[in-house]
Amino acid sequence: MNKVKIKSKNLNVHYGQKQALFDVNLDLNEKEVTALIGPSGCGKSTFIRCINRMNDVIDICKVTGNIEIDGVEVNDKNLDVVSLRERVGMVFQKPNPFPKSIYENISYGPKIHGKGDTKSELDEIVENSLKKSALWEEVKDRLDEPGTSLSGGQQQRLCIARAISVNPEVILMDEPCSALDPIATAKIEELIDDLKKTYTIVIVTHSMAQAVRVSQKTGFFHLGKLIEVGKTEKIFKNPDNKMTQDYITGRFG
Amino acid sequence: MSNEHTVKSYEEELQNLKDSLIKMGSLTESQMSDSMDAIIKVDKDSIDKIIKSDDEINKFRSVIDIQIMNLLVKRAPMAIDLRETISSLKISQDLERIGDLSKSNAKKIKPLPLDLPEELLSNLKRLGDLVIKQLNDVLDSYINKNFDKAKTVWEKDEQVDDLTNIAMQSVIDFLSKDKKNLDFSTHLIFATKNLERAGDHVTNIAETICYLIKGEYLKGSRPKGKQAQE
Repeated sequence: MNKVKIKSKNLNVHYGQKQALFDVNLDLNEKEVTALIGPSGCGKSTFIRCINRMNDVIDICKVTGNIEIDGVEVNDKNLDVVSLRERVGMVFQKPNPFPKSIYENISYGPKIHGKGDTKSELDEIVENSLKKSALWEEVKDRLDEPGTSLSGGQQQRLCIARAISVNPEVILMDEPCSALDPIATAKIEELIDDLKKTYTIVIVTHSMAQAVRVSQKTGFFHLGKLIEVGKTEKIFKNPDNKMTQDYITGRFG
Repeated sequence: MSNEHTVKSYEEELQNLKDSLIKMGSLTESQMSDSMDAIIKVDKDSIDKIIKSDDEINKFRSVIDIQIMNLLVKRAPMAIDLRETISSLKISQDLERIGDLSKSNAKKIKPLPLDLPEELLSNLKRLGDLVIKQLNDVLDSYINKNFDKAKTVWEKDEQVDDLTNIAMQSVIDFLSKDKKNLDFSTHLIFATKNLERAGDHVTNIAETICYLIKGEYLKGSRPKGKQAQE
């Protein structure tokens, strides 16, 4: 078992009057993939948005309780959010490349974070990031073309390349394959398998099969509560909680 | 499981699979009982009927195979549904093998003389009755999802082993009295061994049912009869 990278303790989130997360206690292991599953509105995306303080941008959102990365409190008001997001990258449901060239999509992050001072350093970061995201071979001859000219699956891998270009420790993925076809999905899944050697990955997915394929640990959320968390194999073969079983077997009314 | 699947046809498909397995089990049980009766009575007229009933059991096996493949491909079952599907595959294989052994025993009746000594038959009958009871109990435990009952069947295989040894010994004693008995005694030895093997398949089914219910394999090796331990 790898060491715990991210630890949430009694994490609560409110959107105005509405409570979205209730006392979530969840440990995420380093260099492992954790899948979060549950019906829409169960709080799984809200949870991962706490890890890089994405909820800060929502005025009515209030986060209480603790969430730590390597023992350091993320919710600390004095914490530098920009450097937090450098350490915790994010990939969204819909690929969202910047309206810039493929090259600039990758080089933008390192530039604003003060990495890669020279052109050759940036070139190296771009090449490495694209190689790690298994996109290099497909785009190396057209780095000046707009990122948006790529196919959906390629765009998503570009977004993953962009996330890893600043050398993060954690990558959050919020349904990264829901807009992709099966082949593009397979490529992303294979990529996740490879990336977990270097990064701690948290993936929100509606596909049980995907959760089984890519993750080592799975957490099931329902109505803002973490109902069950355990080894992925155990959750999908023999979960302890009846609600988990009902959800994954399609018995939810 | 009290809750039903949101998708009704999924619920039906799983139920149909369970129904097929129960029917196959019931046919296997009748066939074994008929085959045992026929041996004890040396009833040569029943042989063909018993052999034929094996076709029916094999047909169920094919139906169940198709039902399982459809479930896997259409529903990608998870948790209890996955265990139910995979267990059905394993149980149907064991039932089919039990059917083959009953058929094989029916074929052994032909060369038997009509005046077999009482003691030989009674020892074989005791073994046969126990294996039939074990099969009946294990099928009950499947229908009622009764873990304790399945585990008891698993543990009682020890008695099957012991009765096998007793039945085997009485055939050997009989054989040693007169070499002329060699021909049909060999058939009785095979018939006894077949019953023991059928008992082993029942034990496999019991193990599968325990896994199906609890999601964990039984720990340790099952209790074994005296001879089997050596």
